[in-house]
Amino acid sequence: MKKKAIILGIAAATMLSACKKDLTSLNVNPKNPSSVPSYTLFTGAEHSLANTMTSSNVNLNIFRLIEQQWEETTYTDESNYNLKSRAIPDNVWNAFYSNVLVNLEQAKKVIPTDVTDAAQQKNEIAIADILQVYTYYYLVTTYGNIPYSQALDITKPFPKFDDQKTVYYDLLTRLDNDIAALKANASGASYGAADVIYGGDPTSWQLFANSFKLKMGITIAGYDNAKAQSEVESAVSTANGNTGVFTSNSQNAMFTYLSATPNTNPIWVDLVQSGRQDFVANSTLIKLLQPGNGIPSDPRLPYCFTVNNAGVYAGGAPGANVSFGGNSKPSGPLLVSGSIGKITNPDFPADLLDYPEVEFNLAEAAARGYNVGGTAASHYDAGVLASEEFWGVSPSAAAAYLAQPNVAFATAFNPAAPTTVLTPLQKIALQEYLALYNRGWDAWILTRRLNYPVLVAPPTAQSAFPVRFTYPVNEQEVNVTNYNQAAAAIGGDAVTTRLFWEVQ
Amino acid sequence: MLRGYKSIYNGNQALFVIDGVPVDNTSVNSANQMSGGGYDYGSPASDINPDDIESITVLKGAGATALYGSRGGNGVILVTTKKGKKGLGITVNSTETWSQMDKSTFPKYQNQYGAGYGQFYNDPSGYFFYFDVNGDGKPDLVTPTTEDASFGAKFDPSLMVYQWDAFDKTSPNFGKATPWVAAKNGPATFFRSPISTNESILITNNTDQGDFKLGYTNSVDRGIIPNSSITKNQIEFGADHNITSKLTVGAHMNYFRTDGIGRGGTGYDGTNSDNRNVLTNFREWWETNVDVRELKQAYQRNQANTTWNMADPQDGDYSAIFWNNPYWVTEHNYETDARNRYIGDVHASYKPTNWLTFTGSVSLDTYSELDEERYDVTSIGVPYYSRFNNDYAETNYNLLANVDKNLGHDFNLKALLGTNIRRDYFNNIYASTNGGLIVPGVYSLSNSLVTPLAPTENDQFWEVNGLFAGATLSWKNMITLDGTIRRDQSSTLPKANNTYYYPSVSAGFVFSQLLKDWTWLSYAKLRASYAEVGNDAPVYQTLDTYNINSPFGSAPQTALSNVKKNNELRPERTRSSEIGLELSFLDNRLGFDGTYYNGLTFDEILPVNVSSATGYTNEYLNAGSVRNKGVEISLLGTPVRTQNFSWNIRVNWSRNVNKVESLYTDGSGNEAKNLELGSFQNGESINAPLGGSLGTIEGSDYTYLNGQKVVQANGQYQLTATNNHVIGNTNPDWIGGVNNEFRYKNFSFSFLIDVRKGGSVFSQDMAYGLATGLYPETVYNNDLGNPVRNSLADGGGFIRPGVTANGQPNTKRIAADNYTAFGYVYLPDRAFIYDASFVKLREALIGYTLPQSVVSKLGPVKGVTLQVIGHNLWIIYKNLPYSDPEESLSAGNLQGIQEGAYPAVRSISFNLKATF
Repeated sequence: MKKKAIILGIAAATMLSACKKDLTSLNVNPKNPSSVPSYTLFTGAEHSLANTMTSSNVNLNIFRLIEQQWEETTYTDESNYNLKSRAIPDNVWNAFYSNVLVNLEQAKKVIPTDVTDAAQQKNEIAIADILQVYTYYYLVTTYGNIPYSQALDITKPFPKFDDQKTVYYDLLTRLDNDIAALKANASGASYGAADVIYGGDPTSWQLFANSFKLKMGITIAGYDNAKAQSEVESAVSTANGNTGVFTSNSQNAMFTYLSATPNTNPIWVDLVQSGRQDFVANSTLIKLLQPGNGIPSDPRLPYCFTVNNAGVYAGGAPGANVSFGGNSKPSGPLLVSGSIGKITNPDFPADLLDYPEVEFNLAEAAARGYNVGGTAASHYDAGVLASEEFWGVSPSAAAAYLAQPNVAFATAFNPAAPTTVLTPLQKIALQEYLALYNRGWDAWILTRRLNYPVLVAPPTAQSAFPVRFTYPVNEQEVNVTNYNQAAAAIGGDAVTTRLFWEVQ
Repeated sequence: MLRGYKSIYNGNQALFVIDGVPVDNTSVNSANQMSGGGYDYGSPASDINPDDIESITVLKGAGATALYGSRGGNGVILVTTKKGKKGLGITVNSTETWSQMDKSTFPKYQNQYGAGYGQFYNDPSGYFFYFDVNGDGKPDLVTPTTEDASFGAKFDPSLMVYQWDAFDKTSPNFGKATPWVAAKNGPATFFRSPISTNESILITNNTDQGDFKLGYTNSVDRGIIPNSSITKNQIEFGADHNITSKLTVGAHMNYFRTDGIGRGGTGYDGTNSDNRNVLTNFREWWETNVDVRELKQAYQRNQANTTWNMADPQDGDYSAIFWNNPYWVTEHNYETDARNRYIGDVHASYKPTNWLTFTGSVSLDTYSELDEERYDVTSIGVPYYSRFNNDYAETNYNLLANVDKNLGHDFNLKALLGTNIRRDYFNNIYASTNGGLIVPGVYSLSNSLVTPLAPTENDQFWEVNGLFAGATLSWKNMITLDGTIRRDQSSTLPKANNTYYYPSVSAGFVFSQLLKDWTWLSYAKLRASYAEVGNDAPVYQTLDTYNINSPFGSAPQTALSNVKKNNELRPERTRSSEIGLELSFLDNRLGFDGTYYNGLTFDEILPVNVSSATGYTNEYLNAGSVRNKGVEISLLGTPVRTQNFSWNIRVNWSRNVNKVESLYTDGSGNEAKNLELGSFQNGESINAPLGGSLGTIEGSDYTYLNGQKVVQANGQYQLTATNNHVIGNTNPDWIGGVNNEFRYKNFSFSFLIDVRKGGSVFSQDMAYGLATGLYPETVYNNDLGNPVRNSLADGGGFIRPGVTANGQPNTKRIAADNYTAFGYVYLPDRAFIYDASFVKLREALIGYTLPQSVVSKLGPVKGVTLQVIGHNLWIIYKNLPYSDPEESLSAGNLQGIQEGAYPAVRSISFNLKATF
């Protein structure tokens, strides 16, 4: 019996020792890698950024609705400023920080280890940094104070929020450094095909960075005129090998989607592929594009919107339940056959920054007395013509439009309120607002900055017009101390708290 | 779930052990399904055939963990299957079950107003579409078919309206206007009353040489939703043979084949696939003028997705805009699943002396399943076909030595020394079509409109090696002392921390032994125990990895995981103690069993929410502690016990209090105040807030002034700006049950009443359904005596109870003539929190056993039993309207949210059992 017990004991010992192999090695996931090439992170982040900026998803990018370019048909919550039900502030925050910024940050960390050419390293890091600056710009202009100096660092799970102005000014410094790096390595290589926007061309990125610097300068013009002026003037300068800013639509920062899922434009996903009929034109914008009263319609109209069932252009009233059939839709033959726009095509590109906007920013700079070459009127004209061209309008039709008294800079007026005399900045704002069709996020910055054109308050709105987003619920609940400090610092975590550059 | 949520994230399900074999109960439901959406694939433990169960023992305390390891920490459910008595026995069992929807758990619809959201359309009344249908050049009234709500025109039989069927070419109403009236056959018509069957035969033979068992079971469970059923076939075989009087060897093998079709979609799941759950349609977005029988006929006539919810009848677009025909959904957009499963073991025991036994066994639970989902062309959104092949295997190697020895007259020692190796293996692959289907009704990956993306693969290994020992010493059947210790080493923890020990001690004192003079006291025992449990991490949470996403054209795309892994994880721990008292009086006719327990789970391994400004949404940390304490009481009584008649009562009552005692704190002392476990359609969420209960519901709330709801100048409530206000708690105050059992000669009768007191449930169904005007609550006469839906000018509307900002009673009347009045639009999440209490007649049973005098005349028949069993017969009391408060999106930690809830099913079974 003892012998048998010993045998069993040995069997037990053998059984356990048979498992003496390295248990820990079982916990290595064979299907997911622990390292990847840096350029693949860049492509993913760029794609994610383009999607966030372009999306029309009501859980994420609702700025076409808030800016009254579009209106919801049946489910009108977001048109009425309901941000909380769908946790939109959380979703935007997460999309920027944990889908875009962190992957660009990781790419910047990995590039020195897997890119051997010194010039290429510098270019790639600079381009990734430019996209980070771009992303932070939308964060800081959406929320106010944001985690920045302690952000993207998991060793600080509760990062402090930095002052919005400090963040903003540091972004401008980063842009300058990136521009300098690209300038110094202009003939060097870069991402190549991994960069969907510019194929990794350092010069194109330098143009982009300067154009964006121009935009960032103008954004703070009402708050810090001197800083704005110096930023704008240095951005447009072509001295010392500086590229200056965009000078044609061919330089636009377009992320060209593919026609095959899942790499399509997210607008197509929401409007065409889904089969839903959620969005139509908003009457606020339709009234500007089609003023009536003898004023010819904007030639961009058929490129922006379709006609309704009755064959005319019509927009739904802000915040109201409106019918799909009775109103115009975003233009594109896949949504409404026969329409000539491209917005609802799967391969319609995302537009991250374009030449028309640059011209309107230059017009505004000139109107503010900055030395940018040309006059407010000349840049205004160039902006209008460039936007018409962007949407596909012929040069002659564009010229005719520009000659209309309501459009020509000298006589421009708002057809929706013809008796009001417009200031030069309001004239510029009105045309820039039209040029920012389909770029609701940028329109939101514009109308908050210049308070023009005036949007219609939906009678059913659930709050006042949101001039910022409240902080994500997650920050309120996990990053409690820093959240409370940030909320106090900006003057309260409300949608009505003005940000530092939104000067009244 | 036993004794409350111990783990914030990991499953809180008890471990199932069938005849000594631990079986997998991992639900394959995706994380997405748990927060609403996707199909509920059930859990593999449901493979067990209830007819084959001899007994079920529930081990609630942590003490079960020495033998079963960490997984026993949530309790163990020991299932013993039938063994058979001495000699050859054959048992035949046949059950037919008739099921029906419990009408109290399905909406009642108002029958006064039809389709629409309000006066938003283009006819003069504003309630109808308005265009020329009959070609007379004049516009006609047309149902606003796009509008999935019932806040439209008042029904009026003299009003002739072109409804959806007027645009269906095969309909008798094609091209005809029909009276504007409420549908005769509402959505309740959709549900059927099926008959399910369960047949089994079991042959056993028990001799001195060993025992033998062979059984076969076939069951078909038909659901109340059309085209839904679950078919099971099971073969079991087991034999033990006594090679010598000391050595026994044996093996068991169970084969299960499960085929499911049409399991229900759950809740909301985003991109247009809400349609997989017809209940979201019926409870939330519906037109009361739509006749479901006519929808069925339309589907049958056309074999097409002919829907009431036509996108644009004016322009000839009759396709679905938001909702498919529900019959199309069940006949074309259904899932199927098939699972082949083997559970078995081989074992040997050797008893060299009468006090020592060695047992060795190897057990296996393995299955492979295929889940397929379909979404046919012409359904709204993106048609698809997907398949999920899932392989699972758990192997356990056990070696045990048992001692059972009397030491002298008064002492007995039982001791145990053992080892267990557990190896789990998961391997699955999910593949789906991309961008749609080419050919309708063909469900294959090659039928993908666009080149399919690479499938998602998952390959997981998990091994835990355990070594354990235990000893029980008892003295004179009066005092028992017990101690165990277990050492586990797990593959899912970092090497430095992968070994952990957990002990338990317990003591029992049968003090009635000292009170033998008290003849009225039959038995009295005091028990106390303390146990620790260590637990390991989920697989693959120690090393950071990247996700490879599908390429953008030819450009590869990758991204960091949003969850930061952690290579310094330690085992998580539970410490629990309990004390109990068992009493029995008057010759065991009255009994009491009470337990108080107090357990703390700490160092919990959690994917904590971090600020996503870190670039991560979650990080795995040892963080958080959750305390569960509670009382469980059972009372047993036998008011009558005679030769022919007996009456037994059993009362159970328990209360558990759950508290999140800590979450996590960073180096500089910042402490997270909440951990969100899941968020849902309306912005409400289930949370573990610091200092609160796991299962706290947060959402938007009213704002209050001196306890009164604040109303704005426009007559609408002032709501909170954000959704992080505590509005409910899913944990009940207590639960209880009363079972009465009567026996008279060969008849038996019993019924069980279950009670739940307190706890809350958020109803998305009410939040939407009240907005869309489906329910009778949205139709009444207001304080002025007028229909509330009249316009304000016509004396309609109502005043929201509350005070203005300066504390004066609100007097502002608001209109109730459109969808903004009663539902989610202007009301906070708080408005749709309901008390989840209930009293239910859970089960009633009438049985009759044929008297031996009759049986003996039936030749080989040894016994015949007839039973009529009713399940879920009657919800005697509840506060949640139109639904069963127990209905939930899924098993798991996310309870208490109803979205597209299924109606409860009552059933009556007829069971005949004959033994030969």
